[in-house]
Amino acid sequence: MSTEDMTDTVDEALEDRLDESWEAEMRALLDETDYDTELGLEMAKDAQRLIAGQISEATFHEKYTGAVVEEFGVDDRPTAPAARSDPGADADDDGDSVGDGHGDQPGILETMLGRDVADGDGGMVTSLSEIDPDTDQTRRETMKKMGAAGAVLGLGAWGTSEALQGGPEEPSVGTAAAQADDGDGMQYGMVIDLERCDGCLQCVTACIDENQTSAGANWMYVLAYEDEHTESQNFLVRPCQHCTNAPCEKVCPVEARHTRDRDGLVLTNYEICIGCRYCQVACPYGVNYFQWGEPDTPYDELPGSENDHDALKELSDDERHDHLVETGDHIHDDRGQWNDMRPPQGVMGKCTMCPSRQDGHQGDEKVGTVACADACDLAGMSSIHFGDMNDPESRPRQYLRQRVERDLDDDTDLDTDADWSESTTPWRKLSAFRLLEELGTEPNVVYLGNEPGPNAEQVDGPVTYDAIGVQDDRKDHLDELTVGGGGL
Amino acid sequence: MSTDTSTGAGGPDATTPTRDDIVRPLQHTQKPFFIVGAAASLVALLWVIAWSWQLHNGLIVTDLADWGSAGGVTWGLYIGAFIWWVGIAHGGIILSAAVRLFGMKKYQPVARIAELLTLGALSMAGLYIVVHTGRPDRIVTSVVMAYPNTVHSSPLVWDVTVITLYMVMTATYLGLTLRYDVKRLRTDLPEILDPLYDVMTLGYSETEDRIIERMVWWLALGIIIMAPLLLHGGVIPWLFALMPSMPGWQGGVQGPQFLTIALTSAVAGIIIISSVLRRGYDWYHILTDDVIRGLTLWLGLFALLFIWLQLQQIITGVYAPEVAAGRATAAKITAPVYWFAIGLVVIALAYIFAQAVKPQVFTVRRSIVASVLMLAGTLVEKIFFVVEGLMYPHMYMYYGTPGTYFPSIIEMMSIAGTIALCTLFFMGVIKVVPVIELHAIEELRGEEHGSSEVEER
Repeated sequence: MSTEDMTDTVDEALEDRLDESWEAEMRALLDETDYDTELGLEMAKDAQRLIAGQISEATFHEKYTGAVVEEFGVDDRPTAPAARSDPGADADDDGDSVGDGHGDQPGILETMLGRDVADGDGGMVTSLSEIDPDTDQTRRETMKKMGAAGAVLGLGAWGTSEALQGGPEEPSVGTAAAQADDGDGMQYGMVIDLERCDGCLQCVTACIDENQTSAGANWMYVLAYEDEHTESQNFLVRPCQHCTNAPCEKVCPVEARHTRDRDGLVLTNYEICIGCRYCQVACPYGVNYFQWGEPDTPYDELPGSENDHDALKELSDDERHDHLVETGDHIHDDRGQWNDMRPPQGVMGKCTMCPSRQDGHQGDEKVGTVACADACDLAGMSSIHFGDMNDPESRPRQYLRQRVERDLDDDTDLDTDADWSESTTPWRKLSAFRLLEELGTEPNVVYLGNEPGPNAEQVDGPVTYDAIGVQDDRKDHLDELTVGGGGL
Repeated sequence: MSTDTSTGAGGPDATTPTRDDIVRPLQHTQKPFFIVGAAASLVALLWVIAWSWQLHNGLIVTDLADWGSAGGVTWGLYIGAFIWWVGIAHGGIILSAAVRLFGMKKYQPVARIAELLTLGALSMAGLYIVVHTGRPDRIVTSVVMAYPNTVHSSPLVWDVTVITLYMVMTATYLGLTLRYDVKRLRTDLPEILDPLYDVMTLGYSETEDRIIERMVWWLALGIIIMAPLLLHGGVIPWLFALMPSMPGWQGGVQGPQFLTIALTSAVAGIIIISSVLRRGYDWYHILTDDVIRGLTLWLGLFALLFIWLQLQQIITGVYAPEVAAGRATAAKITAPVYWFAIGLVVIALAYIFAQAVKPQVFTVRRSIVASVLMLAGTLVEKIFFVVEGLMYPHMYMYYGTPGTYFPSIIEMMSIAGTIALCTLFFMGVIKVVPVIELHAIEELRGEEHGSSEVEER
């Protein structure tokens, strides 16, 4: 059989698949969405042709650019225009760039373009990512829309076709995220094993040292508590939960509180926060600490304070990154936004999960680490496991699996097919929980151990805040500068 | 409200009102005016000094602190007072609606006073937003820059949007209705303000009267739909009602609850201002006892609804509540300050019932006292609502919960300061435009509105 014949056969097979019943089925699916049915159908057909190799990716891209922009406002399809038609050709493995440009559907995006979408050379996605951070929201939303449409269009099949071509080579955190089967972008979070915590408060002091927070602003906080029916003492380690559906972000009137696209960290843009404190009101966990007065550590003493926010934003991504690394900047993230370490007066602060570390400004060895977890490891407890919750190979996910396996040894009834995000998985039997999950915040911290009940009460732990010289009752401290009242 | 159907002029001192009556404040200024003005300026000045201390040192000078491990509450008097002022601002629209949309001409003499109260009170509410934030210098730039995205999601942005809209619509409404009066009363108005009056009546022609009247009617309809349903029955309570983090706040009852509080305090505000004005300018025959009595009855009705919705919240919070909600309710009904607030409202209600049953119990002075009690009660209740909600969060396991809070001197001064500023606003306005509509006088004289009045031009 000649090659031509074979192509014909494939073509015929394809045309068979794209018959009337297929079309009717797709049409029914598309009609349920908000998007243009005809456009979707046409695109779906051509997508199938693209997979079958009948048309080139560039052709496909060009054909629909206008229509897609019209329908979705922006063309964020994972296919590349002619100039970028070779996925993975310019793969770039530096750890900090991976994962950037993730929307909620990076599965498609990453797998089609390789994982360096933000470091490309002029594709639509790249130019979008180079625009002012203000557009992040738009891009993310567009991705969502594309995701919805893409799912209907059967674009998911492309992931499979890419997998055949061989994925990215190095299993860094980001690449793994790109390959993750969870279908979400990178999402930093924690697995905290409360059964391992002994309440030493090393994480608390490490956080204060790292971020130079003012007295009583304990971004990382550990509560020893008693519950009604438990006699033993329990701990709750409470960093910010970096929620996927963060109520603080939802209510912010100025978009200062936001989720960083590249890794899902929930951060506060200190440059624009107006200090209305609505985030603190909306957060059910009480993780926010406002800077009521002058911070204890002056601005000049913060590493990176010599860098000007506005000047940083004018640099190109690479220049900015290099500059921030060179200066060991600890207060700006890779976007040149001031959101790390303690906030200035009149602005809200909370646990950041160390964005300048994740962006490599403290050195490559600190990428993927946080100060509290480091301290916990150093104390020999290893209760806090930080990493990408969407990456099955990340430290928290691996730890979760280990714990499942350990528990399996004790209980053979458990199902081995563990998936941390499914409620029916063994980790629930591990007595794993997410804090106040019923409030719909979708927190990204998973706890192993006892869950505090509604009547739990904090008690003195084995190590008190007093003993380690950390201010606990911040109100007392703040009252010193209250003018009149307060103690009345 | 049986008295509402009776016609306007009445009371023992009824004489025929004239145009001279309504321009009197613009022509004569008496000693008490200067005394009140000086006192109000002093209070306002003291508060501005206190506020600048806060601007200089940060919000640390207040008794606010973080809730959670830090043992405080993050919103307090400023937010409570903000809600209170927005509530008072409703006075204007209720009265205008009563007059223009529901044909209750009896209240026409107080309609403009009420509309001006809307502008004054809304300005104070806006000022409180500024006072409350940690970085007031950034408000305009930050809010505007993010507006296209935040308007979808942030209740605080909804608030800013609706308040701005309400402000613009009320100002437009006032501006339009003032054209008629200013044109006809021009010869009696102070010459020094001529340039202002020229602008206000730019392009006026008699043929516009009917058109303006129609426009104003539609505008009133727009505001009446927006203000209670969208503003005080909507975005203001939604600031709290939508927060599952604070069970003391969450729930659909807050919409109607906030609205009743708004209506109560608004009517109370109008009773006080109109009583003061009628004494100051000898307007007993215009702002009659009958008008004040009618307003007092309305005050009673709204206060009754307020109490009724409080009862709804308490009963759902104690019967078989979810743990956190039960905790919040238990704290509320054992807090003396809550019963103090409710007590003030109940005492005022007792008087209103009594004078409804026995007309001789009614005096204007007593109605003023009842109004002051209502205003104090609603202010305390609103601040308590904000603070108590934050003291009993869903996550209650912290040492620091319930937090503690008692307004600092600087915060308390803001109440006096904003009342003083609002007073000054009124004192300024009555020297610039007639605060009683010419229409109201025409109505009381039994004359037709419109061109017949236009003479001597």
